[in-house]
Amino acid sequence: MGKVKIKRKSTLIDMTAMSDVTVLLLTFFMLTSTFLQKEPTIVYTPSSVSEEKVPMNNVVTVLVSSADKSGKLDDPTVAEGKLFISFTGDADSTLSSENIRGMMLDEAIAIYNEQHKNNQVNLTPAEKAQFRSMNMFGVPFTELKNMLDMSVTERDKFQGNMTDPRVGIPIDGNKNREGRLNDFQIWLKAIYNVAQRINNEQAAGLSPEERANLSNLYAALMRKGQGIAIKADKDTPFTTVQLVFDNLQTMKLNKFSLMTALKSEDEPTK
Amino acid sequence: MAQIEQKDGGKKKKGAQKKMAIHVDFTPMVDMNMLLITFFMLCTTMIKSQTLQIVLPTNEDVRKEQQSQAKASEAVTLILDTEYNGDTPKVDPETGKTIHNIYYYEGVADTLFQTNKYLRKEQFIGNVNHEPQGIRKILRDKNKQVMEEYQTLKERWKNKEITKEEFDKLAKKNASDSLKTRPVVVIKPGPNTTYEGLINALDEMNINQISRYSIELPTHTDTLLLKHFEQANNETIIRPTVRQTASKATAAAAAPAPQQ
Repeated sequence: MGKVKIKRKSTLIDMTAMSDVTVLLLTFFMLTSTFLQKEPTIVYTPSSVSEEKVPMNNVVTVLVSSADKSGKLDDPTVAEGKLFISFTGDADSTLSSENIRGMMLDEAIAIYNEQHKNNQVNLTPAEKAQFRSMNMFGVPFTELKNMLDMSVTERDKFQGNMTDPRVGIPIDGNKNREGRLNDFQIWLKAIYNVAQRINNEQAAGLSPEERANLSNLYAALMRKGQGIAIKADKDTPFTTVQLVFDNLQTMKLNKFSLMTALKSEDEPTK
Repeated sequence: MAQIEQKDGGKKKKGAQKKMAIHVDFTPMVDMNMLLITFFMLCTTMIKSQTLQIVLPTNEDVRKEQQSQAKASEAVTLILDTEYNGDTPKVDPETGKTIHNIYYYEGVADTLFQTNKYLRKEQFIGNVNHEPQGIRKILRDKNKQVMEEYQTLKERWKNKEITKEEFDKLAKKNASDSLKTRPVVVIKPGPNTTYEGLINALDEMNINQISRYSIELPTHTDTLLLKHFEQANNETIIRPTVRQTASKATAAAAAPAPQQ
């Protein structure tokens, strides 16, 4: 009997088309992506129907940490109500986020040293450079130097530990704008001063109409109320958030925005 | 596809090298691309956060005479509260959402409890079958005149008679039209309210086009009303503040700052 010869087919699959598709997908993701900013703690914002987007530039984000949800702590609320600040500058190279951070730091330290003459904070240029490259920070002025001396991984670990009493910008109840400010208020004052200074520089020699159309941090703070965005967890008690509101009111920064996720009007709230 | 065919131009010469079909294997390339895609997918945020704008008054002392007084017929006071289950907010097992209660009264607080309408309980329900329910229905009825105009504006925008910018402008003007009867809402978040409760309340203001509202802390009168409501309905609303430790935590964070 003659054997029937089966012609063996090659199992090679041509991957060129597949490669084309993946490259296209890759291009799409690369172009649409904005990288997640590193934040020391995760918060889940409540949702609202407001469709206004968080601005890309010229915004100061205040993050309020939430109670510990891992269930590992005896008292989950020790992790709650810690403040972190991040600065985002213009896309413009002279006022990039790095430069804005540097200016804010210099201003805030000047105010702090003015108020605490016996306990001044002096940072080396290397430490300042470290601060400029950091997205979000949340330590009292007294811990600033210590924190900036750490390596990046150490720092993330340090700031990510919400139970550490050294983490979080102090926000006690000072209600006097002219008196001794708490750390959070010093930062707010620095934000205002720097924004105003930049605005004055940019507005010099412009007509009133052009001045009204300037889009810098000062305009965002004063006119649009988009300069400061508060990001808090939906389960954070109102009393904690109110403390932040109170400090903003004390510093006369009454217009600000609250970060929310989007939901539709028809979505049941209950 | 991936092989490059080379023609050998007719006759084969003797001694000429046999030309092979060049076949490039793209499998590793695909592997690498897939890895990169995975990386980008994990690192991106596709949805940008939204913001809710808020303007607070200054906390400088304003003299009583300078304060604008709302007409009693226009005022609505909402006292917010969040139900707690131990240390965490109580969650509705069906919807997975936190339960917030609203105790509201219209006009001046009825501290004599003459009618049984001195305080009523509502919840944030939102829309059911496109019809407003719960507190939304109550606020909408209060702001009827503005909402009617708003609906016609919305209709015009949907029919592309006006642009989005024009719509926004007209809606804003409509919401603050002093010729219409509009409510003045006072939002009073109680000590156990979560941030979500406040946002929900502010959201209702947006949805119902209420332009006049303020956030205040509950007063003694409000506590009195709540107490009476508790007794009448056999409920416990006024509980010891659940998160007393929270203030301790902030105080501890402030402590290391040395005082001169």
